[in-house]
Amino acid sequence: MSTKLAGIVAGCALLLAAVPAWAHHAFAAEFDAKKPVKLQGKVTRVEWINPHAWIHIDAKNADGTSTEWMVEAGTPNTLFRRGLTKDSLPVGTEIVVDGYQAKDGSLRCNGRDLTFPDGRKLFLGNQGGAEGAPDAGK
Amino acid sequence: MSRKPRARSQKPEGRVRYQFILASGFLLLASSLAFAQHSGKSWIPPRTPDGQPDLQGVWTNLTITPLERPAEFAGKPFLTKAEAEEYEKRTLASNNADRRDGGVDADLGRAYNDAWYDRGTHIVPTLRSSLVIDPADGKIPPLTPERQKQMAVWRDTLQSHATDGPEYRPLPERCLVWPTAGPPMLPSFYNNNYRIVQAPGYVMILVEMIHDACIIPLDGRPHVATGVGEWLGDSRGHWDGNTLIVETTNFSGKTRFRGADENLKLVERFTRSSPDTISYEFTVSDPTAFTKPWRAQIPMKRTEEPIFEYACHEGNYALTGVLAGARADEKRNEKGER
Repeated sequence: MSTKLAGIVAGCALLLAAVPAWAHHAFAAEFDAKKPVKLQGKVTRVEWINPHAWIHIDAKNADGTSTEWMVEAGTPNTLFRRGLTKDSLPVGTEIVVDGYQAKDGSLRCNGRDLTFPDGRKLFLGNQGGAEGAPDAGK
Repeated sequence: MSRKPRARSQKPEGRVRYQFILASGFLLLASSLAFAQHSGKSWIPPRTPDGQPDLQGVWTNLTITPLERPAEFAGKPFLTKAEAEEYEKRTLASNNADRRDGGVDADLGRAYNDAWYDRGTHIVPTLRSSLVIDPADGKIPPLTPERQKQMAVWRDTLQSHATDGPEYRPLPERCLVWPTAGPPMLPSFYNNNYRIVQAPGYVMILVEMIHDACIIPLDGRPHVATGVGEWLGDSRGHWDGNTLIVETTNFSGKTRFRGADENLKLVERFTRSSPDTISYEFTVSDPTAFTKPWRAQIPMKRTEEPIFEYACHEGNYALTGVLAGARADEKRNEKGER
């Protein structure tokens, strides 16, 4: 296999490999895999907008102070379809955010795993065919 | 806008002899209509007021059937029920974004909890192992050698300028087009919903993903001039019996659907085969890109769910986030931090 052809094959493989992990944009380009963060705090504002919802929280620091972080999530349309709106996550709700910080060092991260302090998921997944999630398959 | 499917009124021909037993006759008619609606072939779609077969409503093409046939199903265009169930179970486990295994890169790539995704849970009812039905191997034909070279140059350019500015960012990230939103329409991670509206002389398809609308004139007018390229192409439709045939040309060469260029010609076929199903097929031809044409088939199922707005630019902080991240990386590199 020539180097060029190998490059093309590798490029195609990269594109294909990127597809399953690709949401609206490449998360690895925006967030830093080397900067995992774990935050806990109260919701201060919810931007229920496309292409991504953003949840603002007042994250507690070890010294007792707090810092506002912005947390990126998915499209609200999926949750709308299950009857969930921005009111489903009221201001003041205590949540735990496990994610990765923005590459530019700003106080933003992706909400890789959003839970309540007791470990329950913030929103339930769609596996198994959630109500309101129509499926052309069957 | 969303309407309940209406069965076209049918004359109770052949049943007049039973009219003296009204109740029995009614039952027979009802069961006959029910059979006609479920057998597909004999079902006659309702008509719009201007006489078009009625495709209106909201439809979804949600499925986990892959576009191309996976290697494990080579030579097997249809799965058995048991194989389908096993494949579905395995795919759901693999897709589940709540899992945290596979290292940090995979973890970051999954982006957020599974609740935000809406990929579907089943393969298509035909139990086909791929959405591509022609060629027989279920694979998109290779690109021509010349097109492979062009695509390699384009990928190199993208890679070397990836974060120079917004112009080099992928089209979906710029909220311009989504590679599965169509035309042609393919299932994606979420927003697999389409509203079809018909007016005299027109069909309109509103696509939830990235919020574009395809407006398809039916009056036989010619396509726009050669050389005019559009993100969604230039569509013209006509009816062949109960099938809407939409031919789309004049795609922008920047769309690069599966490696296609500006010579892409797409033919889509919409047939309402039951009150709740549109049989959707499309054929891709592009002699300067693909070594031969290819065809895919995806059922669209009626849903009572509304279409939600997807104002893609409104919260697209990611675009600035990606570029700001690249500038920060450059500064760190200059300082030799990593």
